[in-house]
Amino acid sequence: MSTVSRGVRNAFRNPIRTGGVTIILGLSVGLALVMLLSLKAVQGRIDTVKSSIGNTITVSPAGARGFDGGGEPLTQAQLDSLKSLPNVTAVTGTLNDRLTPVTDTSLASAIDPGTLGNRARRATNPDSANAPTGGPQRTFSLPVMVTGVGAVTPAAVNATSLKLVSGTTLDAAGTTNTAEVGQALATKNNLVVGSTFTAYTGTKITVVGIFDAGNQFTNAGLMMPIKSLQALSAQPGQVSSGTVTVNSVTNLESAVIAIKAKLGTAADVVSQQDSATNAIAPLESIKTVSTYSLIGALAAGSVITFLTMLMIVRERRREIGVLKAIGASNIKITTQFVSEAFTLTAMGAVLGVIGGLVLANPILKVLVTSNTATSTGGSFGGGGGRGFGRAFGAIGGNTLTTLQTTIGFDILAYGLLAALIIAFLGSALPAWLIAKVRPAEVMRGE
Amino acid sequence: MLTVTKLHKTFNSHGNLVTAVDNVSFTVPDGIFAAIIGKSGSGKSTLLSLLGALDIPTSGKVEVDGQDITKLSDRKLIRYRLTQIGFVFQGYNLIPNLSAIENVMLPMEFAGVSTKQRRTRAEDLLEQVGLTADKLSRKPSRLSGGEQQRVAIARALANRPKLILADEPTGNLDSATGKLIVDLLHHLAKKQNTTIIAVTHDLEIARQTDLTLKLADGKMTVASSSAAVPEPAVHAAKAVHA
Repeated sequence: MSTVSRGVRNAFRNPIRTGGVTIILGLSVGLALVMLLSLKAVQGRIDTVKSSIGNTITVSPAGARGFDGGGEPLTQAQLDSLKSLPNVTAVTGTLNDRLTPVTDTSLASAIDPGTLGNRARRATNPDSANAPTGGPQRTFSLPVMVTGVGAVTPAAVNATSLKLVSGTTLDAAGTTNTAEVGQALATKNNLVVGSTFTAYTGTKITVVGIFDAGNQFTNAGLMMPIKSLQALSAQPGQVSSGTVTVNSVTNLESAVIAIKAKLGTAADVVSQQDSATNAIAPLESIKTVSTYSLIGALAAGSVITFLTMLMIVRERRREIGVLKAIGASNIKITTQFVSEAFTLTAMGAVLGVIGGLVLANPILKVLVTSNTATSTGGSFGGGGGRGFGRAFGAIGGNTLTTLQTTIGFDILAYGLLAALIIAFLGSALPAWLIAKVRPAEVMRGE
Repeated sequence: MLTVTKLHKTFNSHGNLVTAVDNVSFTVPDGIFAAIIGKSGSGKSTLLSLLGALDIPTSGKVEVDGQDITKLSDRKLIRYRLTQIGFVFQGYNLIPNLSAIENVMLPMEFAGVSTKQRRTRAEDLLEQVGLTADKLSRKPSRLSGGEQQRVAIARALANRPKLILADEPTGNLDSATGKLIVDLLHHLAKKQNTTIIAVTHDLEIARQTDLTLKLADGKMTVASSSAAVPEPAVHAAKAVHA
């Protein structure tokens, strides 16, 4: 029989104590495991949310959004001044314009007005025949949306993706009268790469590419180099909005502050940081609870093992003395006791892993429920502005309700690791006490 | 040969300095069965602890075959206890969850003897001490006091020590069983040329030994010696108290 196997056997010397310690350690390891799984699940979701935020900031003229609102336009010079700000890696401007079919351009709109178009028209032209809300629907054409871009990116056209279907990507830095048109607009007007259309008092514009942005609205528009559009639309140096790219999501907040300080009241600065923070807040709360509970469970397990081993060492002082008297070294005796501690914690770990697997998702659900109620209340998942707010509302709602722990083979490794940590922490002082036992003690009290 | 020279041990007991062993000197030749007798508290067990390197003396020397064990490092002390000394305790001190044979195999495991060899030797030793084969796998709690002490003697002999130190080896046994155990120790000592030093307060047992040393208040005198003990050993002990 080896020292280790003797230690393993010693763990069963007192079955009642062994059973009790195993159950308590099982609870401790189980709780640690559940918290570890929750942490993993929550951290995974936080990473997903953060990656979905993107690292861009939108800068718009103060009081204006697209063609709504009022105020003064921003200039390219103002946007260029943002390039020198810390953590800013790129600044691109966009200029939006509308071309009325027949009057301004040879293009026909790819979108029919429908109910929403009529409603918008009545709202913007209250003196029209249909004002204020009633009347039959009129036949009219919606304008074709033109976006002057400094870089061809999905963000420039408020899309989440941008795929070139045919032709080449627009030279956004150029000054030529070229355009990359949306798939729907191209189909409506039978445009192919190399086709031309007219706009801005008969100026001929050549199609260099056709894109698919994944949504009907954007696909019904076109992109032109911003400088060309500024010239053709008589808006020299002006931009409708700018997109500032920051080097990291974590620097979004500080960049927003710096941009606001730079542009003052001239611009509205919007990032998805606030929405993301709201979405992540309850997750962070669960993460904090899980982290402290994990540490607490490990500490509790270590203390339980420590006290158990302390009791065992004190009980077996004479036996330790005998072992020393018959020639056992401190290392051999300590190894025996550590093996005993490891056996107890390993049994606790097995019990804890089984319990953890069964209870992980129910406990996470309880954590989610309590944190949703206390951290976010009814506002979570709702409200927000156009686009971003809604997007994050959806993320927020799903973030918690669909949160699930993922259980894999690595759980066994985690359980074993927890048992090892607990066994070694719990045996450290008892091992020291073993070394201090003098073999002469065995001769006393005979 | 065991030579003890001016061995002294004091304890600090509640602020008072207590002398447990007071300048004790004696010599015990190889193969001798010696008894140390004395009243309770006379320092017998302390002396035995010092001889077995379980405790460190305040001053003096304990030499085994010319090597002073009081000067050994911790590592060498463990080796000394493992290979040169065999202990037999009054309360047997067998490991309760190990069987009789496992208890005997234990010191050999510490000495690095292979499992097969230590099992063979343990069986042989247990047979020598008269433990029947059907009791080899019994736990100590299922053995009588006499049987437990036989196992303890077999364990003490496991690594073929030069010196066996027995602390009241018959203290918990009835007189008949005690006599059997003493006879066994005597027989083994002669057979293996092993020196045995037994602490006892049983004068009947002391009479059966080759040399009887008496300890009183930490001081030693020679009570008796047989023809087996050469003169120098007796002289050395006498000289201290002359």
